[in-house]
Amino acid sequence: MIDVEQIRKSFNGTRALDDFTLHVGAGELFGLVGPNGAGKTTLMKVLSTLLPIDSGTAQIGGLNVAKQAREVKRLIGYLPDQPGVYQDMSVREFLEFFADAFQLTGARQRAAVGRALERSGLAGRSRDSVEQLSFGMKQRLVLAKTLLHDPKVLLLDEPATGLDPIARIELREQLKQLQAEGITILISSHILSDLEDICTQIALIGAGHNAEDDEGHSVIQLRAPQAPVRIYEIELLGDNAIAVNIVKSVAGTRLLEYGAGRLVVEITGADEQVAALLRSLVVAGVNVFRFDRRALGLEERYQLVFREKRP
Amino acid sequence: MNPMIRKELRQRMRERRGWLLPSLYLFVLGAVVTFAYYIATTNNGRSPIQGSSVGVILFLTLAYTQLALLLLLAPIFSAGSITIEKEQRTLAGLLTSLLSSTQIWWGKFASSLMFVLLLLVTSLPVLSMAFAFGGVGPWEVFSATLTTVIILASMSAIGLYFSSAFQRSVHATAVSYATVVAISVVTAIVFFVRIAMYESAHRATATHGWSDLPLSVTAPMYVNPFFFLTTSFAPPRQLYPAWTTCACVFIALGGLAAGLTLRNLRRRGDL
Repeated sequence: MIDVEQIRKSFNGTRALDDFTLHVGAGELFGLVGPNGAGKTTLMKVLSTLLPIDSGTAQIGGLNVAKQAREVKRLIGYLPDQPGVYQDMSVREFLEFFADAFQLTGARQRAAVGRALERSGLAGRSRDSVEQLSFGMKQRLVLAKTLLHDPKVLLLDEPATGLDPIARIELREQLKQLQAEGITILISSHILSDLEDICTQIALIGAGHNAEDDEGHSVIQLRAPQAPVRIYEIELLGDNAIAVNIVKSVAGTRLLEYGAGRLVVEITGADEQVAALLRSLVVAGVNVFRFDRRALGLEERYQLVFREKRP
Repeated sequence: MNPMIRKELRQRMRERRGWLLPSLYLFVLGAVVTFAYYIATTNNGRSPIQGSSVGVILFLTLAYTQLALLLLLAPIFSAGSITIEKEQRTLAGLLTSLLSSTQIWWGKFASSLMFVLLLLVTSLPVLSMAFAFGGVGPWEVFSATLTTVIILASMSAIGLYFSSAFQRSVHATAVSYATVVAISVVTAIVFFVRIAMYESAHRATATHGWSDLPLSVTAPMYVNPFFFLTTSFAPPRQLYPAWTTCACVFIALGGLAAGLTLRNLRRRGDL
């Protein structure tokens, strides 16, 4: 999803990025670690289209960051290291302005702003002035603003700086949740314990280039990226026996419920996995008339969390 | 509507200066016009002047005072416009949104200019006093207003350029004021020095007016806003070359400032 190949960026003759390379897969929560002045913020600014590079290539979602900046902006949400807010606006006005700036209008804007208010936990304070919010609340508001246009990639530059321990825990949980929703996240932070807790991989950066640990790794693999888990409801005409057999036979698919003309299926994997199941059903002659993604209910969530822990 | 314009106007009208500056501006303008009326109508042993002459005096006083006040106020609105986004660290949010640099510039420019134009409009009742005395026609009012708008638009664009070039509002505002002083006062001083030197060197040759002076002497005045305003009082057929040249110079300066501001916004490296 994020492909950086040997990029260079200099400021007044000093190289901030020196042949730096990075590859972040779709759905990953990827950490970026390095000392002050290592080039983390410069990399984030390059990826967020704010800074042009001197050489090399930087792509997000297959789009060239330098040449297709507008398309890239639709894909990304960028949270700078010291995000600012308009203190004299109300919380709702702040979100509405940025929804406008992302060309969300009418019902789409109302839905996006409503979702952002819920996500930030500020629904009850939408009329309050931004100035009245605590630092942690402002950080949540800015993150919610960053998510207004449903970006596929989040670029977070030191998002936990200045947050108290509770706010940091909330931020970690929120990032895990966003990753579970399929968003690719690149996060730089000095708080290594936070990154260790949530990241799938961590890249090391020092003096603008890829740094290596004592074993020669420039990227530390922490855990396998979690494949997104989604629940689908399938409605079909006639006997569902064939459909049940197909669901049981397709890898990465699990049958949660079935009844007359209706199946509830859990699919683990990328969009191709979903397409493969639908194709198998149709090829087998099953008359599918509804194939809808369903939000995770409490029961499914419970199953997902505790299924592996059952003796 | 450009979201930037809506945001800027909303924020500006919520500030204390949103009502304080227009009030102060009208108070000063009213006081100056009253003083000019008092001076014009006081009989110092000479024959009293006609009503239409009073109207002309009031109109000219109003036009120049208005321009001087607005030149002082314009940098307040434009020079801090982009630096405030840098100071409160919101510029990155704007630049990574789908707003283009041109939309951001236009939003800032339009809202700065609109506020200054609001002041211009609020002075219309004061202007109506001059009408009551006669001697001033719609053409004079139109050309003076148009000229003032061109000057203010140009100064707003220049203020925005400084706002994009500096990190702090205080620096951008200071340099904007220095520019106002340079084009208003320094150009006049340079002109008077040059004309004195020219006349001393050409004593034998009689000069009949502005058109007889070489461009090397008159050039500084083409960027002087008060000279530009003076040229607007000429009848329509005599606007060329002085008024037309001034208009072209001010529009070119504004355009250049706009181009440089857009370049600075697109560079983005100094966020």
